[in-house]
Amino acid sequence: MSMLEITDITKDYGASRALHPVSLSVDEGEFVTILGPSGCGKSSLLRIVMGISQQSGGEIRLAGKRIDMLPPERRDIAMVFQSYALFPHMTVEQNLRFGLRMKNVAKAEQQRRIAHAMEICTLTGLSSRMPRQLSGGQQQRVALARAIVMQPNLLLFDEPLSNLDAKLRDTLRHELVALHRRIGATSLYVTHDQAEAMAMSDRIVVMNAGRVIEVGTPLELYRSPRQAFTAGFLGQTNLLAVTASGRKAHLPWGQLVDLAEDAAGPGQVSVRPESIGIRACDRGGRDTGSCAPATVAGVSFMGASALYTVAIGDTLLKVSQAGGDALIEPGRTVALSFPDRLPLLEDRAPDREAA
Amino acid sequence: MSMLLRDRRMLLPLLLAPGVGYLLLFFGGPLASAFIGSLRLEDGSFTLDWYSRIFTRPSMLRGLGTSIYFGVAPVVVSLLVSVPLSLAIRRHFVGRKLFSGLYKLPLAVPGIIVGLMIIVLFERGGFIDRAIAPLGFGLPKLVRDDWGVGVILASVWKQIPFMTLIITSAFAAIPEDIRFAGRTLGASRLATFFFVEVPLAMPGITAAVLLTFIGSMGSYAIPDIVGPPTARPLSVLMVEEFNLGRFPQVFAMGMVLSAFAVAVLVAYYTLTSRIGDAHGRGDAR
Ligand SMILES: Nc1ncnc2c1ncn2[C@@H]1O[C@H](COP(=O)(O)OP(=O)(O)O)[C@@H](O)[C@H]1O
Ligand SMILES: [Mg+2]
Repeated sequence: MSMLEITDITKDYGASRALHPVSLSVDEGEFVTILGPSGCGKSSLLRIVMGISQQSGGEIRLAGKRIDMLPPERRDIAMVFQSYALFPHMTVEQNLRFGLRMKNVAKAEQQRRIAHAMEICTLTGLSSRMPRQLSGGQQQRVALARAIVMQPNLLLFDEPLSNLDAKLRDTLRHELVALHRRIGATSLYVTHDQAEAMAMSDRIVVMNAGRVIEVGTPLELYRSPRQAFTAGFLGQTNLLAVTASGRKAHLPWGQLVDLAEDAAGPGQVSVRPESIGIRACDRGGRDTGSCAPATVAGVSFMGASALYTVAIGDTLLKVSQAGGDALIEPGRTVALSFPDRLPLLEDRAPDREAA
Repeated sequence: MSMLLRDRRMLLPLLLAPGVGYLLLFFGGPLASAFIGSLRLEDGSFTLDWYSRIFTRPSMLRGLGTSIYFGVAPVVVSLLVSVPLSLAIRRHFVGRKLFSGLYKLPLAVPGIIVGLMIIVLFERGGFIDRAIAPLGFGLPKLVRDDWGVGVILASVWKQIPFMTLIITSAFAAIPEDIRFAGRTLGASRLATFFFVEVPLAMPGITAAVLLTFIGSMGSYAIPDIVGPPTARPLSVLMVEEFNLGRFPQVFAMGMVLSAFAVAVLVAYYTLTSRIGDAHGRGDAR
């Protein structure tokens, strides 16, 4: 059963439309991430769900009840802000207690929940610190604990890790996932970081320019994106224009590849760098047939893999090879192999409404 | 000069001279001479009489009480107006720009003009009185009345812009997300205001209150023009004594008023520094 149901929410700031009708749902206990570039309307949507910003249209249901007319304090939702928004005049413990006092939770129950949240957010021993006496990571954990003690129907996160340095971000990402597994709170998480989204989410909602582009599990969206935007935004890819006829399509340099389904006319495919096979051709040139046009233009060694730039016809392809005994030097001709059953991408026209 | 600068013992006093020297010369000097003057009889011998008169003579005691009353009452009224006004200015409304420019105008008007304005407007037979007379209403005595309503009106009119200015910036300094966080944690708009916004704006509010209190307690023009003839604050009595040529008495009264102002300021500094500590300037680990 879906815990949160967002239907056709729109948001206009004056004459400019920040959200075109946006719909999405989050199941009970699910961790859903809204992923999109900065300015695409992620925060606007989250604030509307929280009730601290007013939608221009559409409706929101939480646990079956319509909530879009309620003030934020009566929605049973808690939120972790990008700025943490801790109360600077209260200690850590007072910050955690604030919401419980506002909701008239019994003293003993307050105590129990605070102690539990302090423990699972690894804040033990910091209860009498002021927020300013805490590091960024600790402040972030207090913000999280302050939301968790509320035991809300839904937890909202607006880029909670984006103010932290890369290493801490990584640690906290894992802690957040572990925490979610443990308490199972229904969560809607916003980020512009695709690695974060893929590592944490049960499902990802890809947004761009105020619309939902595509929804799926991280694996689905990475392996077989249906939208060109998704393919380009999640990880690295080669977006190639093709001309299809039947189950076959011609790549820009004329090579034939297999398609996943019948198609006709011009289209686009996404081929991940790691799904292209690369092999140096013999210097003698025995297998010249498939080798002739492809040449290594550049290579960067990434440690676990090598990333090649390969010139083929007028196209520069990104090809990554894991392992490998030796790097192929620039200038060498190479043979490339493409995966079977490539799906054709839909390129959602910008004026079509997102479902 | 370079010789002087090379001598390290001379360096510090030299560097401090422009700031501290100015204070000593133009503030400390007169204060010290006023203090000494307040302790002398006509013949130059030591006395505490001038002070004991302030705290024993009924007219003087009344003056002291009136000074405090004219300090406190307008501040309370101004505060009750300024806080809602600050919150209103924060919100978007039509004509907000014009309004937030206009409300600062009284800052530029001298006290004596404000006093005259109050007389013109609120005196019996004044502008408002005549305006409402055809409707069968009349103003009660508001100028030179026993409760000092005229003084309070004039002081409030002058204080509100200053207070609102400081309090508005104190509220504006609170990040929007912190207010929203209150709401997301189950606090109503009102609860968020009292438990989150007011405590965070408190240093600004306290500063505004104390500074306006000091100003109105020592003000002369307004109570002289629109104050009740029966209760004159120390500032007005001082001028009377001055006109009688009793300078040591003037000095003593001045010292008492100054001591009050200083006490209030000291209270303010200890209070705000304590709040500052509570906000924790501790080392982040
Ligand atoms: N208060 C506002 N007034 C006007 N425009 C706004 C406001 N808040 C956001 N916007 C605009 O709405 C769009 C989406 O913003 P936002 O939801 O903050 O994006 P994101 O969180 O994805 O970066 C942006 O173009 C932004 O400029
Ligand atoms: Mg944002």
